[in-house]
Amino acid sequence: MTVHNLYLFDRNGICLHYGEWHRKKQAGISMEEEFKLMYGMLFSMRSFVGKMSPVDMKDGFLAFQTSKYKLHYYETPSGLKVVMNTDLGVGNIRDVLHQIYSNIYVEFVVKNPLCSLSEPIQSELFRAKLDSFIRGLPFFSARAG
Amino acid sequence: MADSPLFQALHMEMAHALCGEGEQEKGLGALEGVGFRVGQGLSERLTKEMPSFKDELDVLKFLCKDLWITVFKKQVDNLRTNHQGTYMLQDNQFLLLSQLSNGKQYLEEAPKFLAFTCGLVKGALSNLGFDSTVTAEVTVMPSSKFQVVIQKS
Repeated sequence: MTVHNLYLFDRNGICLHYGEWHRKKQAGISMEEEFKLMYGMLFSMRSFVGKMSPVDMKDGFLAFQTSKYKLHYYETPSGLKVVMNTDLGVGNIRDVLHQIYSNIYVEFVVKNPLCSLSEPIQSELFRAKLDSFIRGLPFFSARAG
Repeated sequence: MADSPLFQALHMEMAHALCGEGEQEKGLGALEGVGFRVGQGLSERLTKEMPSFKDELDVLKFLCKDLWITVFKKQVDNLRTNHQGTYMLQDNQFLLLSQLSNGKQYLEEAPKFLAFTCGLVKGALSNLGFDSTVTAEVTVMPSSKFQVVIQKS
């Protein structure tokens, strides 16, 4: 099992952080464009899922998968979006995405007055903590899958 | 202190708001002043059930244990002295810096997050009868050293 990459978006669609681990294929466009494309897709997906649902939903859009990878989506009430791409073997990882938000983003970005919110995150401590957290996940390793 | 996240957030905002561009000096003074007053009050409250202190070292031990635990939820990691009124309090995981960095990033911003605590220590000492100067020094975050020099009267 593998973790490919991770995006953090704020409520206005700004990419606060991007991390990459096992990504074999690049999009072939600039990162800026990739973030916009990604955010646009997520935004549409969210409203699509909301409109098409025949019943009232609690959680909304959770994940989608293709033949090769799975995209996991988590959104907080404040509009922060955590998006992680993994391979297909990974099940529901809502709690993991929530931990990234509550134990890493809140702890090392929100509580750091030197980090301005709604701008890409510069804090090295945040990056280090996030990287070691992802590397510590049971489904991180590329070999196991 | 009451609720730690609230104290932390308030402290951070205070430090950030008071030490704006070009007002660093003034802001540090103000922060230290606030800390001083809080230190006075805390030392009053924390010592009301205690027997009186034997000597200077006893007072410093009180700072490192009781005061530090009340405010920062832990003891000072290391207390050193030259037995001539100079003390070094070292906290390897200083609460108010632990969210900022674990290296040299943001090092130039560190003084404004230490001024309140310098005042706190100074205020507590002053209320217990010792005039002092307190300075802080950080080489690698989040570890901090506070140097306390007791003034002989």
